[in-house]
Amino acid sequence: MKVVGITTQQEVYVGSKERNFRINEFLIIEDPYQEDLLGEVVEAKTFNRYIPLNIYGDFVDNSVLESLKALGYDIDEDTIYISKVRLLNEALYPIQTGSDVRLPKFEEVKDIMIKTSREDGLVLGAIKNTDDMALQMDEEFKELFHTFEEGRLMPQKEIPYIMDLKSMHHYPHIGVFGGSGSGKSFGLRVLLEELMIQNIPTIVLDPHFEMDFSETASYLEEKTENFKDKFKCLQVGTHVGVKFEDLSAQDLKNLLDAASHLTDAMNNVVDILFKPRDSYYSFFNRLQMLTEAQEEGSSDKIESRINSGSDEEERRAWRERKKLFESYDKTCPYNSVRGILWRLKRLGNDGVFSKDIREIETGLQNGKLIVIQGSTRILQVFSTYLLNNLYHKRREYKDALYKKTSAEYFPPFIIVTDESHNFAPKGYESPSKSILKEISQEGRKYGVFLILATQRPTLLDETITAQLNTKLIFRTVRASDIQTIQEETDLTMEECRRLPYLRTGDVFISSATMGRTIFARIRAAITSSPHTINPFDELKSKFKEEDERFLKIIIDKLPVMATDLTDLALEIEQETGTTYTVDNLEERLKQMVDKNHIEKEETIFGYRYKSKK
Amino acid sequence: MYSLSNQLKSKVTNLNDLLKEKYESILDLNREDLRKFINTHIGEIKKMDKLDNGHLALYESKGGIVGVDGSNNKIGGAYPHFVEAYQALAKSTTHKDQPLILADIYSPLYPEQEESPLEEEERVIEDKRNIKLSTIEVEAALASIERFKPYAILMDGGLIRYNIYAADKWIELRQRCEEEGIILVGVIKDIKTSIIGDTMKKINPSIDECFYDRELLFGQLDYGEMILIRDEVNKKEPEGYSSVFLRSSLAPSIIGMDIIDSQREYMEDMARLVFTLTPENSRGVPLWLDIVDKEVKISDEIMKALMERYMDRGIYERFFVSERDKRSL
Repeated sequence: MKVVGITTQQEVYVGSKERNFRINEFLIIEDPYQEDLLGEVVEAKTFNRYIPLNIYGDFVDNSVLESLKALGYDIDEDTIYISKVRLLNEALYPIQTGSDVRLPKFEEVKDIMIKTSREDGLVLGAIKNTDDMALQMDEEFKELFHTFEEGRLMPQKEIPYIMDLKSMHHYPHIGVFGGSGSGKSFGLRVLLEELMIQNIPTIVLDPHFEMDFSETASYLEEKTENFKDKFKCLQVGTHVGVKFEDLSAQDLKNLLDAASHLTDAMNNVVDILFKPRDSYYSFFNRLQMLTEAQEEGSSDKIESRINSGSDEEERRAWRERKKLFESYDKTCPYNSVRGILWRLKRLGNDGVFSKDIREIETGLQNGKLIVIQGSTRILQVFSTYLLNNLYHKRREYKDALYKKTSAEYFPPFIIVTDESHNFAPKGYESPSKSILKEISQEGRKYGVFLILATQRPTLLDETITAQLNTKLIFRTVRASDIQTIQEETDLTMEECRRLPYLRTGDVFISSATMGRTIFARIRAAITSSPHTINPFDELKSKFKEEDERFLKIIIDKLPVMATDLTDLALEIEQETGTTYTVDNLEERLKQMVDKNHIEKEETIFGYRYKSKK
Repeated sequence: MYSLSNQLKSKVTNLNDLLKEKYESILDLNREDLRKFINTHIGEIKKMDKLDNGHLALYESKGGIVGVDGSNNKIGGAYPHFVEAYQALAKSTTHKDQPLILADIYSPLYPEQEESPLEEEERVIEDKRNIKLSTIEVEAALASIERFKPYAILMDGGLIRYNIYAADKWIELRQRCEEEGIILVGVIKDIKTSIIGDTMKKINPSIDECFYDRELLFGQLDYGEMILIRDEVNKKEPEGYSSVFLRSSLAPSIIGMDIIDSQREYMEDMARLVFTLTPENSRGVPLWLDIVDKEVKISDEIMKALMERYMDRGIYERFFVSERDKRSL
C-alpha cells in the first residue's frame, strides 16, 4: 500500500494492488519526513482498466475471461484498489506521495478506540472493520458479546465499542435516531441492558409496551445474564399514578393541559378554585357544584331551589352551591369551569389519580430500571408530573448539599424514551417538553441524563437536540431527517450519503468523547422484545389451536347426521359448557371438512359427517 | 446544428450511387452461390468449435500465449518539426507481471542516416515509421521467446509487412520459432486482400472491376465459420504464409489470420484459439490482443507529458509546439 496522487495535510489517496479497502478502517502512513500518521478510510474504490468489460466499446463476455484464465491470465488480478484516507490529526506538511502505508497494531489505536474498561462502560457493539487489529487485542476485550450477521449469531471478531458512562458527566445526554426497522429499538434495548448491568437508576417511558426484559432471546443458548430482578414494568393507572393531594396548582394545570390544551381563562379557574391539600373528590365536587349553580343562572333562582328543597340534605347542598356561586361566578366563567371539569374527569377515568409514584421512587433508590407503560397521551400527562417530581427531588438533595442543610437522599438517574418527538415536539409547547428542556440544559449539574430515541429527529425540539452530546444514528431514509442529522452531528457528507443504505443494526456513533464518528454494529441483545412474534404467524397458530380444540370435542361423537346437529349442540353444551347454534356448528363442521380433518358423505337420509379413515 | 454545404451533400450522394452501381452485382449475389463458389475455388468453409478449458490449460502448461503489438504517436507540426515515438509490447498470459516493452523515437530534425529532406518526404517518413515499428515489434517477439518460452505468439496485424520492413530480424524470428516449435501467427483486423475477387476475374474475364475480400465476405460467413484458403490462390504463399478468414464475433465483418507455412498443421487450432478468445459481441479481435494494444498505446497525454518532463521547455516550444496545439477554439 502506497500513498498516491496529490496529497494534502488532511487527506490522501492510498492505492494497493493486493488489498481491498474497507470504509472506516484505520491505516498508518509512514511518511519519511514526519512521524507515523493515523488515518481512517472514508471512501473505498476499486478499478480495473479492462473492466467494465469494455475495451474500445466492446463488451467482453465471461467465457472469454474464463478462457484467458485457463491460459494463465486472470483479469481480476489487474484490479487496483484505491481509498481516500482522512487523517485523524492534521499533518504538519502534506504527506509525501509514495509513502508506505500499513495496517496499525492494536496498541497503536487502543487509545482512540477504547476509552474505558469493560466494567465502567456500556458495551454496545463492535467497531466495524477492525477485525485485523482485534487479533492482537487484550484478552479483557475479547468474547464480550455476539453479533447478528445475515440472520446468524456470530462471536465477536472486532474491537468492542464501549461507551464511557462516566463521560456523561461532561458530555451529557444521548440521542438515538433511525427509521423503523433500522435497529433503533434494538439499539435502545442493548443500551438499557447495559444500564441494568451497571445498576444505574433509570426511568423508561414506553408507549409501545415493548421494553420487557424477562425473556432471554431464543438465539442465546447459554444463560448469560438475567434481568428479572433488575427492572420493573409499571402501568399508569394500574400500578402507578399521581397522588392528587401532593399536587400544586401548577402541577395540576400541567396535567390538565396535557389532557387537552388550557385557555388562559381555564388556567385562571384552576388558580382560583384549587386549594392546597384538595383531594380529587373535593376539587371535583367544587367544580361540579359551581357548574350546577351556574346552570341555574342567578342567586334568586338558586334561592328558590333552596326553598323548594324536599329535605334538609338537599337544601344544605343548594345553600353550599349558592355560596360558591356568589364567591366565584364573577371570576370563573361557566364554560371554563366546564372545560376544567371534563378534563379532570378524563384524567380520572384514565386512573391517573388512583395511585402514586412511591413504587417508582423505591425502584430508583434501589438502582433499578423502571419501565412506565401507557398510551402516548397518558404518558405525556404522567411523565410531566413524574419527571418534575423526580427531578426536583434530586435537585433538592443536591442543592441541600451545597447549602449544607439536610435533605433525603435521591440518586442520580437516567430518563429514556422512545418516540421522544411526542414528548418534546418542535414548534409548539407541550407540558412534558418544558421539563425535558430543563433537564437537557441543567440536568448535568444534578446527574440527571436523557436518552431520547426518535425516528423523526426533525420533529424533536431543537434546543434539546443541541444538548445531545452523543448520537447513535441508524439507517435513515427521509431526506429532511438526513438534513437535520447533517446539521446536528459531525457526520461527513460521505457518511450522510450512506445513511439510507445502512444495514439493520449498523450505526454511526457521533460522540464528543471520541471526537469523531465511529461506525459500529450493535451487539445481539440478550433479551427479546415481547412483540417479536409475527402477527400472521400468531393468526395461523391461533386458528390451528382452535381447530384442534374443536376436533377434540367432536371426534368421539362422529359419525353424525346433518339432521342431528341440534342434539349434538346440546350434548356439547352439557359436556364442555361451550354453546353452539346449529348454524354455527354446521359452519365449523364444514370448515373441518374443507381443512381435510373430517369427511362428509352423502347418504339416503342426507349428509353425514364422519371421521377420516 | 451543423451547417452542411450543399456541395458536400451532393458529392456524398454521388459516391453512394457510384458504389451502389459498382456493387450491384455483388449485392445481388445469392449467398448460397457465393459460398459454393468459395468452397470450390477458394477453400473449404468450416465450422469451428471453441477450445475447452482443458485444451487451453494445456497451452498454458506449454508456456502460454504471447501477444505482440506496437503503437506510435507523433507530437509537433509539419515536417520536419515533429517527434514520433514507437513502442512495442510482448505480453505473456502466464507472466503477466513482466511485460516486455521496447521503444524508439524518430525526428527528421536529427536523422540517424543522411537523407534528402525534399525527396518524397511523405513516403520516406511513412517507411521510416513502418521500419521502426516493425523492427521493435519483431525484437519484442524475439525477446519474448527468450524470456517466456511461449507455446504460440500472436502478432497484431498481417505477417507480410515484417518481410517488407524488418526482413533480417524477421527471418531470425521465423527460424527461432521453427527451431523451437513456437507457433507464429498474425491476426489481421482489416483484411486488405482480394483473393476471391481475383479468382472470380480469372474464371470469368468479363468482370473488370476489382473486388476486395472484405466487401465480398461481409456477412457471408456464420458466427464461428472459417475459410481455409488454399495455398495456390493465396498470394502470400510465395512469401511463406498460409492464411485463413474467419468470423470470430457476431459482428458481420471478417478477420484474417496468417501462419508460417511450415506450421500449417496448426492453422485450424490457432483459428479456434482466436475464435475462443474473441468476445461474442465485439469487433472480432481477440481480447488478449486488445489488452496488449491498450497497454502499449502511447496516448496524446503520455506523449505530451514525456516532452514536457524530459525536454527543455525552450527546445520543446521552439521545435515541436505547433500552431495547432495552441488553438483553443
